[in-house]
Amino acid sequence: MRDDDILIGSLMEDSWLTLEQVAAACMVDSAWLVRHIEEGLFPHAESVAGTWRFSGSSLLRARRMRQIERDFDAVPELAALVADLLEEMDALRGQSRRSGMG
Amino acid sequence: MQFKDYYQTLGVTRDVTADDLKKAFRKLARKYHPDVSKEVDAELHMKEVNEAYAVLSDPEKRAAYDQLGRGYQPGQDFRPPPDWDAGFEFSGQGYSPHEAADFSDFFAELFGRMGGAHAGARHTHAGFRAQGEDHHAKVLLDLDDAFSGATRQIALRVPQMDAHGRVQLTTRTLSVKIPKGVRAGQVIRLAGQGAPGMGGAPAGDLLLEVQFKPHPRFRTEGRDLHLTLPVAPWEAALGAIVPVDLPHGSVKVRIPEGAQSGRQLRVRGHGIPGQPPGDLLLNIQVVLPPANTPKGRELYETMARELAFDPRHQWRA
Repeated sequence: MRDDDILIGSLMEDSWLTLEQVAAACMVDSAWLVRHIEEGLFPHAESVAGTWRFSGSSLLRARRMRQIERDFDAVPELAALVADLLEEMDALRGQSRRSGMG
Repeated sequence: MQFKDYYQTLGVTRDVTADDLKKAFRKLARKYHPDVSKEVDAELHMKEVNEAYAVLSDPEKRAAYDQLGRGYQPGQDFRPPPDWDAGFEFSGQGYSPHEAADFSDFFAELFGRMGGAHAGARHTHAGFRAQGEDHHAKVLLDLDDAFSGATRQIALRVPQMDAHGRVQLTTRTLSVKIPKGVRAGQVIRLAGQGAPGMGGAPAGDLLLEVQFKPHPRFRTEGRDLHLTLPVAPWEAALGAIVPVDLPHGSVKVRIPEGAQSGRQLRVRGHGIPGQPPGDLLLNIQVVLPPANTPKGRELYETMARELAFDPRHQWRA
């Protein structure tokens, strides 16, 4: 393989994800994402000078919420609650793994 | 290609009503939810359940599947008729073409040639430009890759539109240089490797979300590297310098005198490289030698006799 066949990516800092990138990556409408942010169901987003920006963990949250809404016809608030619990569980699992219990 | 019985996957009969189908799907969606399921291969099962539901919950697809699958048994060799070209619009039930790319070859053969939701894109108007969508994939790396950087082959199944505006599933293999210092959860952006643009507009980007394969010894948190460090009782009590092997090289770590299990030592700058680099965090775990020889027993008995040590003295305070 020639050297120029190798793709060189740039590392995105967490804050670099835009609304459109998160929406496309998680297969949701931008409007869906904006609605959830405005209703306070998406705390991973922050607004800087009128533009939304997202941390890397936003991708997982958006996918989880969308999946729960779709699979169970859940109202967004319930999907957000489940996503909160799953995030809490991730944090606890991470802690127990790091302390060698996992 | 083997025939897949979608009714069997969802545990329903062929005359199932839409309501009962939904109920059966939800039960399984809960059972195999990848975040909480204790089932073996939950993710794989969930993929199959999603695929079955994507077909059976869509009246048009269900009818086509029923018609095509008549007389087939699960696992039986299956070939769709040569003129089979249903041209389904893939929009039902919130499954996108990208998710469908994850479904089986059986599904792709039956429904892969759908006139997709993007079919309208071929009617480009003069002067109409739209940047291609960003695509997204997860990439599983070895922890070592974060220390030295690496070039990895990544295979992606992507729906692509052909000249007739139909969506076909194709496999794209990319060689990607993984930059040194990458962390779990971080996104690598490959400019211009997403969906093609329309009307001469630039293509979208491909976003690769990084995850590490589980490592038998190390865990990561951001750039910090966590490791359980087993130490002998005398190393913990008297202090010691012990060598610790890392993904790249090794370091010598000083165990302070009087260290106890559960205490954490931080070695600055020996985590995943970067600006600044992460730290190495060692969780001390005192491991007792067994008392399974006369000498071993004698040493423990001497300690018991001669050390005034009560591990539960706090209970009596």
